[in-house]
Amino acid sequence: MTLVLSRVTAHFADEKAREAPAIKDISFSIPAGAFVSIIGPSGAGKSTLMRVILGLMKHASGEVVRNFSRPAMVFQNYALFPWLSALDNVAFGLRMDGMPRKDREHVAREKLKEVGLLHLENHFPAALSGGQRQRVGLARALAISPDLLIMDEPFSNLDTITSEALKTDLLKIWRSYGMTILMVNHLIPDAIELSDEIIVMGAHPGHAEKTIPINLSRPRDTRSNQFFKEVDVLTETIRKIS
Amino acid sequence: MIGSTTHPLTRALHRAHLTRHRRAWLIMALIVGTALLLVASGYFNGVAWPTLADAVVRTTYRLALAYGIALLIGVSIALIVGWSPFIDFFFPFFDILQNLPSFALFPLFIYFLGFTDLMIILFAVSSIVWPILFAILTAIKSAHTDLNDAATIFGARGLRRIRYYLAPLSFPAVLTGSIVGIAIGWEAVIGAEIIANIAGFGAFIKNVDTTGINPTAIAGALGILVIVFIINRLIWAPLLDESSRRYAE
Repeated sequence: MTLVLSRVTAHFADEKAREAPAIKDISFSIPAGAFVSIIGPSGAGKSTLMRVILGLMKHASGEVVRNFSRPAMVFQNYALFPWLSALDNVAFGLRMDGMPRKDREHVAREKLKEVGLLHLENHFPAALSGGQRQRVGLARALAISPDLLIMDEPFSNLDTITSEALKTDLLKIWRSYGMTILMVNHLIPDAIELSDEIIVMGAHPGHAEKTIPINLSRPRDTRSNQFFKEVDVLTETIRKIS
Repeated sequence: MIGSTTHPLTRALHRAHLTRHRRAWLIMALIVGTALLLVASGYFNGVAWPTLADAVVRTTYRLALAYGIALLIGVSIALIVGWSPFIDFFFPFFDILQNLPSFALFPLFIYFLGFTDLMIILFAVSSIVWPILFAILTAIKSAHTDLNDAATIFGARGLRRIRYYLAPLSFPAVLTGSIVGIAIGWEAVIGAEIIANIAGFGAFIKNVDTTGINPTAIAGALGILVIVFIINRLIWAPLLDESSRRYAE
């Protein structure tokens, strides 16, 4: 297992909101190499959970077993460093690792080529579209060869065409890298299309309601009856807990 | 409304390819041209040009040195405090200090340092440092959580966080803080020179005839105006352009 959470509870960072926890008694495990989505309503503590998993935030109780050493994250709002070009953004993690300039630029260029943006290596984030920024964010994460990739609603700020293209590329990358992916998703069809299993979270406080395995064969046919049936089941599950 | 793309003045300026930068140079050229015409007409005949030049150079040198020291201190303190977990603790403390009127502390500077160049320079440092420090601290405090998290996840931890994340993050703030700081610095240096009567532009204009506007006062003001313009066009404007190019949302 790449990650095991056992009855994890965490509070909001805001002192005034400490009366109620952000997430409470969350337990689940993620197998190595799996693609797992977390889905749930606003206020379910999904982003808080991601920060606890990455160690960016302390949890109040419970146990987090992290069997990964190189986590990386792709953010909803891209979180690219505005003073760095696309190439330097991708190379950032490698620079922090102490990799020499020539080597890290070589790796960064390879990653930009994988996401189809080598021609924009000298552009700053301000000059890139949302989809391009997200691809640079993905390349930055891939550059450090992560064993766990966390993606926080990576498609939510993108148009449909761009997010469809990015989903296709993401699946290819996941298959070739063999890494574990944990994605926060708010779209049920996307979660079913991409994931091996889906963790459904409830809100107030955030808790893991249910883990649903997706047993459809890959590549997923998003127009098949089985796919629509899975969407119906998941939609009904979420409706019951909302 | 002037500035609107449909305004006749805006359209005329656009047709003449008068960008903002070119307009600034044009305005300065008009001012300098007028000044040269006045020189040619003999209006400035009574001005002691060597004395004026010496005074302006002294004031500018004091300001430049004060800014350099204030920049070093302001950036260092702001980055260390911003990096530490105590930024919220120190912020109100600095807020109180910076609200003390700087000229109220002037007697202390005279007491400890006398009527010296060093006194004026350090007094100016005490005025210039605050806008720089606060601009940087505000930029660090208001940085998006995701950006902070990205820096942590991708390895900008410990002292590396200052060099590779907080310092570049603060660049626009250093710039705007410096522009405000320099403006405050001119006042501090010239005001200190007037009060302490130490050779410089402040003492120069203090000794000028007070019966009204005269050529010497105008010559002095023009000299300072030219220096401010040159610093603005050659240093601040290109840096602001680069900052807005890179840091735009």
